[in-house]
Amino acid sequence: MAFLRHLLRKLGWYAAAFAAALGLNFFLPRMLPGNPVDTLVAASLGRGASSESKQRVYETYIHEFGLDQGLWEQFATYVGNVMRGDFGTSFSRYPADVSTMVADTLPWTILLQVPAVALGWIIGNLIGAVAAYRRGGFDRGVYLTSLFLSAAPYYCLAVLLLYGLAVALPLFPTGGGWSFGMRPEWSAAFAADALSHWFLPFLSLLLVFIGGQAIGMRSMAVYEIDADYVGFARSFDLPDRKIVAYIFRNGMLPQITGLALAIGTLVAGALLTEIVFSYPGIGTLLYDAILNKDYPVIQAVTLLVLIAVLAANFFVDVLYGLIDPRIRAAEKGER
Amino acid sequence: MTLATIRDLRAHYATAERRYHALDGAELAVEPGRILGIVGESGCGKSTLASVLSLNPKPALRVDSGTMSIAGTEIDLADIESHRSLRGGTVALLPQGALGALNPTRRIGAAAHDILAAGPGRIKRSASAARTAARLEELDLPPRVLDAYPHQLSGGMRQRVVAALATLRDPRLLVADEPSSALDVSSQRLLMNLLRRLVDEELVEGIVLITHDVALLSELADRIAVMYAGRVVEQAPARTLVERPRHPYSKALFASVLVPEPGTRERRLDGIPGSPPDLRAREPGCAFAPRCAEATEQCRARRPALIETGPAAAACWLRDPAKEPADAR
Amino acid sequence: MNALRSLPARTFIAAAVFVAIVATGLIGPIAASAGPEELLGTAFTAPGADFLLGTDHLGRSVGVQLVHGVRTSLYIGLLAGGIGTLIGVAVGTLAGYLGRLADEVLMGLTNIMITIPSIIVLLLLSISLDTRSVTVLGLCIGAVSWPWTARAVRAQIASLREREHVDIARLSGERTWRIIGVELLPYMLSYIVMAFVIQLYGAILAEAALSLLGLGPTGTTSLGVMLHWAIAWESIRGGQWWVFGAPTVLITAITFSLLLVQSSLDSVFNPRLRGRKETA
Repeated sequence: MAFLRHLLRKLGWYAAAFAAALGLNFFLPRMLPGNPVDTLVAASLGRGASSESKQRVYETYIHEFGLDQGLWEQFATYVGNVMRGDFGTSFSRYPADVSTMVADTLPWTILLQVPAVALGWIIGNLIGAVAAYRRGGFDRGVYLTSLFLSAAPYYCLAVLLLYGLAVALPLFPTGGGWSFGMRPEWSAAFAADALSHWFLPFLSLLLVFIGGQAIGMRSMAVYEIDADYVGFARSFDLPDRKIVAYIFRNGMLPQITGLALAIGTLVAGALLTEIVFSYPGIGTLLYDAILNKDYPVIQAVTLLVLIAVLAANFFVDVLYGLIDPRIRAAEKGER
Repeated sequence: MTLATIRDLRAHYATAERRYHALDGAELAVEPGRILGIVGESGCGKSTLASVLSLNPKPALRVDSGTMSIAGTEIDLADIESHRSLRGGTVALLPQGALGALNPTRRIGAAAHDILAAGPGRIKRSASAARTAARLEELDLPPRVLDAYPHQLSGGMRQRVVAALATLRDPRLLVADEPSSALDVSSQRLLMNLLRRLVDEELVEGIVLITHDVALLSELADRIAVMYAGRVVEQAPARTLVERPRHPYSKALFASVLVPEPGTRERRLDGIPGSPPDLRAREPGCAFAPRCAEATEQCRARRPALIETGPAAAACWLRDPAKEPADAR
Repeated sequence: MNALRSLPARTFIAAAVFVAIVATGLIGPIAASAGPEELLGTAFTAPGADFLLGTDHLGRSVGVQLVHGVRTSLYIGLLAGGIGTLIGVAVGTLAGYLGRLADEVLMGLTNIMITIPSIIVLLLLSISLDTRSVTVLGLCIGAVSWPWTARAVRAQIASLREREHVDIARLSGERTWRIIGVELLPYMLSYIVMAFVIQLYGAILAEAALSLLGLGPTGTTSLGVMLHWAIAWESIRGGQWWVFGAPTVLITAITFSLLLVQSSLDSVFNPRLRGRKETA
């Protein structure tokens, strides 16, 4: 029951963060002076649009934003629309539905980020734990490489990988989600093609993530290694991999909290990586939307990212409670 | 018949600039069914000795020479790495502080299985659970402990769990390294009973108890060895040593044991004038000479050997048995 | 200072690299013979005698842009880093020292801000600004980057305020701001310096990320803006390595050197690490 209470408290916390996210998403762009639709329509349809189509677009947005109402009513309309999954109509690809555009790109992003994060987390933490356990030259090498990988912004590594492995050495396609002339379909040929396009952006995310995790784990593990339980385990000549597993398991707990806090940066960085590879995910959608001043799309993407980050945080919170026996015990009320 | 004999143990810690001679020719003998206590100030080499005896030296330590013969096996201590497999099975460590010694995220049963699996041969999970449960029961612990995490156990239970794990592979010799240092008085009492029990009920054949707690030693140990500057300077049956210490250092060390006054324990060791020896430089004479009120020219010039007189032995020129009436015992 | 001597050589190399980059940003724009927006040659000229670092898609000199870009990035970094540190220290100190309700409210706000990725907030802010001057951008970045510092500072202050000298000051009726200024902050100085280095690092990265998205400062160039155009004009796929390579290498060099310096400072200042060394 205590665990449930803990969960509910956390849920309340995330509800507050979600409200803040919604508010930011709605009010920040409305800090523009004047009627936003005027500015938006002028900006997006500035050049060479017929006055008739301008009028049509204008009316669509006046209605969508509910501009005949006060700001708070507008916010209520906005929240209502969002809850129904209605993100409005795209400027740049009028009259395309923003939700459909997002739904088309989202799977690509998920396929890219989830494996990179999961695999990177495991590999990075293992490397960090082994480095701290082995010490010496291996440790120094891991430390500096990891520091470099995590210091270089995501997109810089992406730029270098793209140039190195697709242009200078043409091993991989130079970007996009699939080859020219193919269309997304459920076939082995397309899957193989998509996989070859997927690999470089995936590798780029994976490397950065391994670096960040390895550094974090190494500094946790350095403390764990001096712990008495490691000395006791050594006094039985436990195999090294067993001791590393002990250290890993104990160093992992703070690393999970670290993961929760880093998820925002992580997702944002991954979106930037997509841009470098013109990968057909949310990041590239956002990039194109910004170039075309397609505000409904921008807002849909930012809201989606905010929700995803909050959800991921919540997930990690729950996971942490499940993994650490000390926390679990406290929640069950045992000592 | 002795259980274990350690001869001429020399070891140093090397930093970039200097060597610290932590052990400088230590000699010891543990008798079966007995507890040998080792006492000395911090820096005298006793915790280094514990790490070498449990065949698990600290990473920076280099053992220069020394042998340990235990239950018919001769171990070259300068080459401990090739005797790693004896850890846990022939010699085991009872570590300092029971809470920290247990992996907080591993159930006792799983940790026990890890320990048994590190030994020779393969062992099934069910077999190791049965063996562990039996050992736990011998120490009055219920089998449900197997499924517990360390934090779910009380302090006294944890202590017994650590003892059960340490003796799980039936080691001949148990090395207890400052086991009481972090404990309150009543837990110390429990620990002393536990150690005595391990020997009496033959869970181990002998114990080396390393501590700076003179009061604990004089009650618990059968024999006591006093260490100074990496050497054993006096060794004798516990009673003899407490009542009639012969080495001037032992005298100072045991002087206030019988004065039960708050704070004495802390003051006792610091009460010896002068500072602990500098382990970087090895003087030709007795290491204690600079702090010894009775030191003579001879003390400063040549190092005294550990000379046996009956069951006792001391390394001091002033206690030359030739000049002194031999101890009655 | 003794602790400085124990630092590994890489710390000093990293510091030297950073100082060299700062010098480039200070001196470069003055020494350069042309402005960053001037069209000087044909598009995509490879590095050579005419242009040391080649030209971009419009025929602007990459070298000239680079020195101006470094200046812009550093300026925004320093401004935003300074503001972020200032707000973070202020919020963290108030929360940690006052405790109770003020602590709950300030840290609640901080935790919400930490959960929401700052780049998204910046993005939403930037699209609502028609012209983004370098200074406005710096202010915006600084305004969203403080929560991490606030959290760390709060933890430090909360433990510092339990010290005896703070109690004495409080009991002898010192004013709150005086206690904070005289009894608390001086002990935090090394910590604040490190927080600033991290803020600087974060701000330079935030500027580059925004610029990459096309929301960079208007009317000037920065390392991120250069990278944005390099990607928009397909210089990677076109193999014009000098166009994308120059800003990429510099962003990486700045961030890597800052992180190296920071991690070394951490090992000197961090009482936990230092304590470990002494007792060992």
